[in-house]
Amino acid sequence: MSAVIQHYQSEFERAEPLLPWRDAKGWQAWRQSAWSRFAEQGFPSTRHEEWKYTSVAALEKLLLSCAPATPAPLDWASLKDKAVLPEARGRLVFVDGVFQPTLSRVDGLPAGLRMGALSGRSTQDSLKLQGLLEQGQRRTPFTALNAAFVAEGAWVAAEAGVRMEEPLLVLYVATEGQRAMHLANAYEAAEGSAFSVVEQYLGMTDEPYLVNGVTSATLDEGAKISHIKIQQEGARSYHIAALQAVQKRSSQFNSHSFALSGALGRNDIEAILAEPDAAVSMRGLYRVSRRELQDFHTTIRHDSPDCTSDECFKGVLNESGRAVFNGKIRVAPDAQHTLSQQSNHNLLLSDQAEVDTKPQLEIFADDVKCSHGATVGQLDEEQWFYLRSRGLAAEHARALLIEAFALDILTGIDLPVLRDALESLLRKTAHV
Amino acid sequence: MLIIKDLHASVGDKPILKGINLEVKAGEVHAIMGPNGSGKSTLSNVLAGRENATVTSGSVLYQDRDLLALDVEERAREGVFLAFQYPVEIPGVGNVYLLKAALNAQRKHRGLPELDAMDFLALVKDKMKLMEMNETMLYRSVNEGFSGGEKKRNEILQMAVLEPRLAILDETDSGLDIDALKIVANGVNSLRAPDRSMIMVTHYQRLLDYIKPDYVHVLAEGRIVRSGGPELAHELEKHGYAWIGDEPAGAEVKHGS
Repeated sequence: MSAVIQHYQSEFERAEPLLPWRDAKGWQAWRQSAWSRFAEQGFPSTRHEEWKYTSVAALEKLLLSCAPATPAPLDWASLKDKAVLPEARGRLVFVDGVFQPTLSRVDGLPAGLRMGALSGRSTQDSLKLQGLLEQGQRRTPFTALNAAFVAEGAWVAAEAGVRMEEPLLVLYVATEGQRAMHLANAYEAAEGSAFSVVEQYLGMTDEPYLVNGVTSATLDEGAKISHIKIQQEGARSYHIAALQAVQKRSSQFNSHSFALSGALGRNDIEAILAEPDAAVSMRGLYRVSRRELQDFHTTIRHDSPDCTSDECFKGVLNESGRAVFNGKIRVAPDAQHTLSQQSNHNLLLSDQAEVDTKPQLEIFADDVKCSHGATVGQLDEEQWFYLRSRGLAAEHARALLIEAFALDILTGIDLPVLRDALESLLRKTAHV
Repeated sequence: MLIIKDLHASVGDKPILKGINLEVKAGEVHAIMGPNGSGKSTLSNVLAGRENATVTSGSVLYQDRDLLALDVEERAREGVFLAFQYPVEIPGVGNVYLLKAALNAQRKHRGLPELDAMDFLALVKDKMKLMEMNETMLYRSVNEGFSGGEKKRNEILQMAVLEPRLAILDETDSGLDIDALKIVANGVNSLRAPDRSMIMVTHYQRLLDYIKPDYVHVLAEGRIVRSGGPELAHELEKHGYAWIGDEPAGAEVKHGS
């Protein structure tokens, strides 16, 4: 057994008695089997096709602590300015992976819409959670590690027909280094219901830490979930996450990802269009500078006929920043009349920046319309000249063009309060 | 206002301008005509400061300053304005944002206070009426999805807002139908002023029917080969550029068929 596995083995032995739902039937065995899966594989190496361009060797060496934290208390005033939607009617705040009831509020929600911390769910609910996470947990060594240690996270559940337009906020704050946080989020939208949730990750330490998250979204017939994820992680942080949405008939899943900072980020996002007439929109923006790396692996599974997918990822790469985009679209043999669009556009602002982009289309049906395209380019000289010829300073013109390129990703976010919040966040955090 | 002396410029390794001499006084409107490839656009680009053309020799004095030593944005703030032949589409940058940023950059440069949103909007809306433009165009991205005519009108709107001292209109009539041409010409004419000079670069005489120049110059193979009054444009229209050949300026005018 390697020293790394040995470390996490002892962390597992230490943490396991402290983890929630221990008394619920099945959990111990479930964690144990997840642990064994991780122990067999260890951390992925770049020899693994899915991790070819993304090395986690430095993370592996960190030997992070996995037991639940006891963070120093924070007050809302110190977070308010950093929260993307400080006025959200439903808000869950977690510090170093620990739920903070005093910083959270869930009292203003409409009847039939509930949100809360996973640890507060009943035994019965926790088993349902296990079921929800089961499928996603099997995918990578990180999801296995997550299953072994998962202790906390957010859940939102909307009953049939309950619709809430105003977005909910889930805020994860990291204040302490040398720690691994294994989080899970579960979003459930019953028939005809709708809600939007913003997951914001804020790094408030420059020490290394790991956020290892698994998120599951389930959409019943005609349901709609908009999921907006914002990573503003610390300078030496690792953020690894897997999201899976399972969609029933005529449901709509909107996923927006903003990877704005962090030493290394890896997102595996998957949408399964399990029944006809479902639609998914998957959009994302990654911004890297210094020696940051952001990696998006997306999968859209057209398992049923008459479904639509619209995917667009954009990247702004500065200095020695690197990015990876791998977009897989799988169209099953009977998924006729599939409409699928994918694009990935990258703006390279330095000679040292690098992006590896790869579309991966596996189409087994014949009556489909699938398009994809990827571009890697620099700032448009003509546009730059045009702005300067009107008197704008060279740097101002450059920043404006980068911003315009990036802000385009907000297409599809129609709610003004959310759009404005994201727009000002993107401007505020822009690397120029 | 502007004195160009023996200006030579190349694009890549290719010499395009081969000794341009031109003086434009305050309040004058000069038309520079010439066939494709004669160097008209290169001359516009050199004056506006586009990097793709390299000046190899000669000088350009603008208000007694060395224009070629100024950055693109400095030229603009000093009152040089280029109306583009092909206005660039900039998705994601609002038309109104650009107008305001441009005007305030100029005002700041000149030591004037920046205009607040209210005053600015009142000013722009006033100028938009002149160009017969719908206010919704303010809130669209710069030139994005604009028709050819809308783009050209937008150029003149910018000019009206920025009130340049020297305006260079590069093929402003290209791609315009007659109605749009009239609106654009009307806008330009309203901006004629004793302290404002204009250089109109055009292939066709058509624009000059609507904006009467004081002087017409014919550019061929990188040199001005003929200069005269507005009547020169009519000669060109009648006889075509072949009539000019590459004879030096001042040669006797021959009337061919």
